[in-house]
Amino acid sequence: MHETELQDLSDDADYAASQQQGSRSISGSDSGKRSMSSEPDGAEVVYLKDNVTIHPTQYASERISGRLRLIKQGSSLFMTWIPYKAHSSGNDSESDRNLYTIKAVPFTDIRSIRRHTPAFGWQYMIVVLSSGLAFPPLYFYNGGVREFLATIKQHVFLVRSADDANAFLVNDIQDPLQRTLFSLELSRAVSVSNVPSASVSVSPAPSIENSQRTDGDSYDWSSSISQYNGRHRQKVQDPARDLSIQVLEKFSLVTKFAWETTSILFRESHNNDFGADERKNFIQSLPDNIRDTEHNNTEKVPEEIPVASDPLEFDKLTLVWGKPRQPPLGSDEWATFLDSEGRIMDSKALRNRIFYGGVEYRLRKEVWKLLLGYHAYDSTLAERDYLCSIKKTEYESIKRQWQSIPPEQAKRFTKFRERKGLVEKDVVRTDRSVSFYDGDDNPNVRLLRDILLTYSFYNFDLGYCQGMSDLLSPILFVMEDESESFWCFVALMERLGPNFNRDQNGMHSQLFALSKIVELLDSPLHNYFEQNDCLNYFFCFRWVLIQFKRQRKKRGWGTPENGGTIEEEERGEDKLGEFEYEKTMRLWEVLWTHYLSEHLHLYMCVAILKRYRKKIMGDQMDFDTLLKFINELSGHIDLDATLRDAEALCICAGENGEACIPAGTPPSLPVETGLSYSQQDDI
Amino acid sequence: MASRRRMLLKVIILGDSGVGKTSLMNQYVNRKFSNQYKATIGADFLTKEVQFEDRLFTLQIWDTAGQERFQSLGVAFYRGADCCVLVYDVNVMKSFDNLNNWREEFLIQASPSDPENFPFVVLGNKIDVDGGNSRVVSEKKAKAWCTSKGNIPYFETSAKEGFNVEAAFQCIAKNALKNEPEEEIYLPDTIDVAGGGRQQRSSGCEC
Ligand SMILES: Nc1nc2c(ncn2[C@@H]2O[C@H](COP(=O)(O)OP(=O)(O)OP(=O)(O)O)[C@@H](O)[C@H]2O)c(=O)[nH]1
Ligand SMILES: [Mg+2]
Repeated sequence: MHETELQDLSDDADYAASQQQGSRSISGSDSGKRSMSSEPDGAEVVYLKDNVTIHPTQYASERISGRLRLIKQGSSLFMTWIPYKAHSSGNDSESDRNLYTIKAVPFTDIRSIRRHTPAFGWQYMIVVLSSGLAFPPLYFYNGGVREFLATIKQHVFLVRSADDANAFLVNDIQDPLQRTLFSLELSRAVSVSNVPSASVSVSPAPSIENSQRTDGDSYDWSSSISQYNGRHRQKVQDPARDLSIQVLEKFSLVTKFAWETTSILFRESHNNDFGADERKNFIQSLPDNIRDTEHNNTEKVPEEIPVASDPLEFDKLTLVWGKPRQPPLGSDEWATFLDSEGRIMDSKALRNRIFYGGVEYRLRKEVWKLLLGYHAYDSTLAERDYLCSIKKTEYESIKRQWQSIPPEQAKRFTKFRERKGLVEKDVVRTDRSVSFYDGDDNPNVRLLRDILLTYSFYNFDLGYCQGMSDLLSPILFVMEDESESFWCFVALMERLGPNFNRDQNGMHSQLFALSKIVELLDSPLHNYFEQNDCLNYFFCFRWVLIQFKRQRKKRGWGTPENGGTIEEEERGEDKLGEFEYEKTMRLWEVLWTHYLSEHLHLYMCVAILKRYRKKIMGDQMDFDTLLKFINELSGHIDLDATLRDAEALCICAGENGEACIPAGTPPSLPVETGLSYSQQDDI
Repeated sequence: MASRRRMLLKVIILGDSGVGKTSLMNQYVNRKFSNQYKATIGADFLTKEVQFEDRLFTLQIWDTAGQERFQSLGVAFYRGADCCVLVYDVNVMKSFDNLNNWREEFLIQASPSDPENFPFVVLGNKIDVDGGNSRVVSEKKAKAWCTSKGNIPYFETSAKEGFNVEAAFQCIAKNALKNEPEEEIYLPDTIDVAGGGRQQRSSGCEC
C-alpha cells in the first residue's frame, strides 16, 4: 500500500526549495553527519535528516514527512522537525502539519529517546518530554537513528537505560522528587495497560548487555515501577514493562500546547523561564477548540470532590491520534473509486474515505448498499441492477405470505396478529417529526409497516422487536424504494440482529465488552462504576441497541414548564429532529465501514463517557442519576468530536481493546453458514 | 441503604407495549399528551414533587419498555420500588390478560420484603378511544381481578384527555408512601414545608 503513497519528492516544489535551502547551509544534505554550518542567528545545525516522517494514524498511508534537525545555540541543543508542505493530500493535512511541527525543543525538556530499529521495516524513535508527553514516533525512512543519537551524545548528557538497550535518558534525573513523579507517570501507564506482569522475579537482574553503558547512576525505569507497584518484574523480557513504556509513549501524547510552549521558550527566552503571563497569553492564542476544552475542564466541574485523573489525558490523545474529519464524499470523488464497469477498485480506500467524512446525501442510495453488504464491492453496475430486479420479485413473494392471510385465518393466528399489532403501534411512533414520516395517513409510515412485517416473515424466528423501526426508518428515507429498503435492512440485521435476540445475549455481550474496554482505557472510571453498582452499563442500552439514534432532546421531559406552547415546542422539535436525523445517518455510515473496528460504536460509548467522566464522578452520580444524565445527553453530543475521540481510543486500545471484545460480539458479520437465529419459540 | 431515599418514592410503570405508559407518565408530570412519543427503549424516569400531609416528597416515576424481550433489564430498574403501576389498554384483551404476568415478574425481579402486601395500582387506559365502543375489557372484569389480588386500587384513565390521571397518581403516591418503613419517612429533615415547593432530593450522601 505504501509503495503507491511514497512521494516522489523530487518534483515537489516545496521540497525542492527546502533542499536548496538545506544545501545552502550544509553540503551533502542527506548525509546527516555532523555537518557544521552557520544559521543566521548564531545557531548551528549539527544534524540534518530529510524524509523523517510521522504517521498520524496507525496506517502507513497516512503520513507527514519533514526534516529533522539538531541545532546548537550557545551551550543548548535543540531539536526541530518541520514538515514539508503537502503537495496533494486532503484538506486537513495543513492543520495536521501545523499540529505536529516540532518548532524547537530544548534538550533540557527531553526526558528520553527510545529507538526502534527493527531488522525489517523502518527505524523510528520516540521522544518523551520531561512533562511525560511524547511526540509521535518519528520514522527514518532512510535510516539515521544511530547518527542522530551519536550527535546528541556529543552535546548533551545521554545515558543508555540500564534495562532497555534501546532507551536513552537525557539529563539523567538526580532529584528524588522528580524521580518519583516520573515513576508515577510510568506506573499510571502500566495500570492503564492492565496487562498482568507475565513473570515475577524476586530480585531484578539488570541486563548487562552493552558496553556503551556509561555509568552506575543511570536512572532505572523498571525498578521504580516495581517499587511503586510493590512487586518486582523481570526486566528484560517482561512484556508488561515493555508495554508500560510503549503505553507511556503512546498515551502521554503531545499537544499543541506542548509544541507552542517549546516554541515560545525558544523565541522569547533562552533561560527556560516561562512566566505566568506568557502562559496566559499563550492560552489565549490557542485555537478555539483547544482553548474551550481546557477551559471547560477547569470551569465546568466544581472541584469539591477530587476525581481520579484520566489516565489517557483524553484531549491530548484525541488531538494527536484522531484525524480531523473531512467533508462527505461527493460525486466527483466517488467516480474515482469506480472502474469503467462500476466495480469498486479499492474497497478499503473507499471505506477509509467514508470513515473520515461520510457520504453526501444523494450518493447514499448507491453507497449504503455496498457498505451494508447488500451489493458486493466487486460487482459491476449491471450486476447490481440485475440483482435489484431479482430481489424485487423475491421481496414481493415474501410479502405476499402475510398479505394473503385472510381475516378468518388471522383469527386463529395469534402470533401474526400480535406481531402486526406491535409493528403498527411502533411505526406511528417512529420519527414522526421528520417530514418524510409526518402527518396523518403518511404512505411512508405504511411502507415501514409493510417492510417490517415482511421482515418478520423473512426471519420468523427473530420476528419483530422494538428498535427495529428506528433502524429501518433512515434506510427507507434514503432508498425511497420498498424492496431495496427491505434488502438493506436485511443486510443491516445480519449485523445487528443479535441486538434483538429474545434472550438479549447480543446486548449483554456488547455491554460486557464495553465494561471491559472502559476498564482498559479508564480504570478510575471503571472502579467508580463498580463501586456505584453501575457495571451492568444499562445506561448505555439505548445507545447500543439503536446505534445512537434518538439523540434528540425530548423537550419538556423532566424540566419545569418553560411557558412555551406545545405548538412552539413541537415546531422546535421538528427542526432539531431533522438535524439529528442527518447526524444519525452520518454516524451510521461511518460505523458501517467497519474500518478501524467493527465495534467502533463501543468506543463511541467510551468516548462520550470519558467526555463526562469528571461530571459523573464529581457529582457522585448513582445508577439512577447516571441513567437520567445519559438519557438527557441526547442532542448534546458533538458527533464529529466524538467520532474523533472514538477513533483515538480505538487506536490506542489496539489489540488490547479487541481482546476485550469476545469473539462473536455483535455486530460481527456472521460466518458464512446461513446461520439463523435459533430461538425458543416463546411468543 | 435504609437512609438512601428517605424523601424519594420510587414508582415503576409496567404493562404491554403501547398501552400508554409513557403517555400516562407525561400527562401526569407535564400535563401534556403528544402523538410523537416514541416506543420506550431501555428505561427512563421523570420526577415530580408531591405534597402529602404537609410533607413534600419526590415521586420518581420509572417508565420501562413494554416488549417482553426487554424484561431481563427489569431487575436493574425494579430494585427499591415503593409502588408498582400495572397498565393495560381497555381495548386490547391481551394487555389485560398479561397483567398477571407483569405482576409476577415484578415480584420475582424486585423481590420486595413483603410481597403479599406490596402496593400495586392498576390503570385501565385509553377509555377515550372510539367513545368507548371498541372497549373489550369491562370495568367489572378488571375490578374483579384487582379484588382477587388483594384489593388492588383500580382507575380508568385516558392519557390523551388527561382523564383521571391526577387522581390515579395521587393514589399511587399515597400507596408508595405506605410502603416506606416508618423510620425512613420520619427521619428529621430540613425540608422547608412552609416555604413550599423548594425541591429537596435527598439521595443519601450528606447534603
Ligand atoms: N386514544 C388514546 N391513545 C393513547 C392513550 N395513551 C396512549 N395512547 C397512544 O398509544 C400509543 C402508545 O402510547 P405510549 O405511551 O407510547 O405506550 P407505552 O406503553 O409507553 O409503550 P412502550 O413504550 O412501547 O412500552 C401512542 O400512539 C399514544 O399516542 C390514550 O389514553 N388514548
Ligand atoms: Mg413507552
